[in-house]
Amino acid sequence: MKISILGYKCTKCGTIHYPNRAICRKCRNEQFTVEPLPEKGKLLTFTHLYNPSGDFDVAILDLGIVELANGVRITGQMKIDQPKIGMKVVGKIETVRESGYKSYKGMVFYKA
Amino acid sequence: MREVYVIGLGITKFSRLEYPLIEIAAYPSIMAMKDCGLNSVDHVYVANMGGSRISHQTALGSALVDHLSLYPAGAETIENGPASGASAIKQGYMAVASGVHDVVMVTGVERMRETNNLEATDFVASLAHPLAEQIYGVTLPSLAGMFTRLYMNQYGVTEKHLAMVAIKNHANAMHNPNAHLHMPITMEGILTGPEASTNNPYVADPLRFFDMCPVSDGGVCLILASKDVAKKVKRPMVRLAGVGQATDTHCVHERENPTDLLAVRGAAEKCFKMAGFKPKDVDVAELHDAFSILEIVESEEVGFFKKGEGHIALEKGYTALNGKLPINPSGGLKAKGHPVGATGVGQAHEIVTQLRGEAGARQVKNAKIGFSCNFGGFGNNVVALAFQKEK
Repeated sequence: MKISILGYKCTKCGTIHYPNRAICRKCRNEQFTVEPLPEKGKLLTFTHLYNPSGDFDVAILDLGIVELANGVRITGQMKIDQPKIGMKVVGKIETVRESGYKSYKGMVFYKA
Repeated sequence: MREVYVIGLGITKFSRLEYPLIEIAAYPSIMAMKDCGLNSVDHVYVANMGGSRISHQTALGSALVDHLSLYPAGAETIENGPASGASAIKQGYMAVASGVHDVVMVTGVERMRETNNLEATDFVASLAHPLAEQIYGVTLPSLAGMFTRLYMNQYGVTEKHLAMVAIKNHANAMHNPNAHLHMPITMEGILTGPEASTNNPYVADPLRFFDMCPVSDGGVCLILASKDVAKKVKRPMVRLAGVGQATDTHCVHERENPTDLLAVRGAAEKCFKMAGFKPKDVDVAELHDAFSILEIVESEEVGFFKKGEGHIALEKGYTALNGKLPINPSGGLKAKGHPVGATGVGQAHEIVTQLRGEAGARQVKNAKIGFSCNFGGFGNNVVALAFQKEK
């Protein structure tokens, strides 16, 4: 089964929210449908974090904000050697954090 | 509404303090009561963010009333992330302005160095969105790093400008005996010299070590009162003239233009409107520089400078201690320190000290109107305060 990150589309005005919220930001409607977010987008900004939390088994954690093909933005991890603002990226759903017995899946971006 | 005055001030040194949390709250509170000569208050507000997680203590308002034997005063603890301090002042303002209380104590306190730096950073990161930010390892420095890169790309801010903020605020803190860092720094030492990359490594690029505030312990207290009480205590008359608060999206990525800090803009607008001031009327300001970039951007968003021109004002020396509009004469969060829940009260303490003319070597000449901006989350909840000295 393919795992996706879901956007929350307002049934009234069509605005897609990520993450979810109870009331639409644009029209205050309370009904949403879910739809998988696109995997492709462009890198809006990024950082290399040199002191990540103890849950991460890496010395440097690369993080970025990506504007997806449908205009929705998402924060995620990156595995890109030389990232640049505006570059095309593609996201994959991977384990992004392991804390004790808990494991979290999320978006990891690669060069498209 | 009634007019509200700051009649008492107290503060600890911001540093690593080896005392229980309640003692760090009590010391400045006693100092503030002695400052105004009162030995009772109607209500106590304690601003704190990490007591429950780091110090394993909740209900700090009740605990402080007990420790200071202030019964039967009412008591509350205010938690609003890093903006807890100014939020508590706002609560105190409303209580006195409404006539519900005549005298209230607002004490901000935090003991963050009880734990290690990574745990403290992880604790502050708990204000990020749990599913859309926290799971990825997003921390406040990483949000600031991403924000800074985008801001540099759009407005021509460079690492040199960021270093200039740090150098200025470290220099100011040298004149503040309560500042956490008494450490003058130079451009050569932190950016351009051969040892700079060792002295000042990246933390969340493009932000480096000296672009970050320290993790501090500290306590601060303001006593607010009605005009009738203020006249009786015979301390300099400093009026809390305006309070403004605004919010923005929890996730930074959801903001239409992620380099806009709309909550800063909104809070300042409301604050200035209530006070009847314009940004150009301000003589001295404390802006929430948890990261060096924030001093530059907030100086634009609150209306001191046009968007994209904050770094130019910095270059020209406008924001220096002897400039047209000194910003962060205390040393700011950058060098005075950042005991998160107490920070907003600390900013207000500095502004009132300046307006009283009691700031010693860091005194801004002829300061009559002051402003502070307390930045919660990564800009999703901001409280601005305006103060005026009266004759």
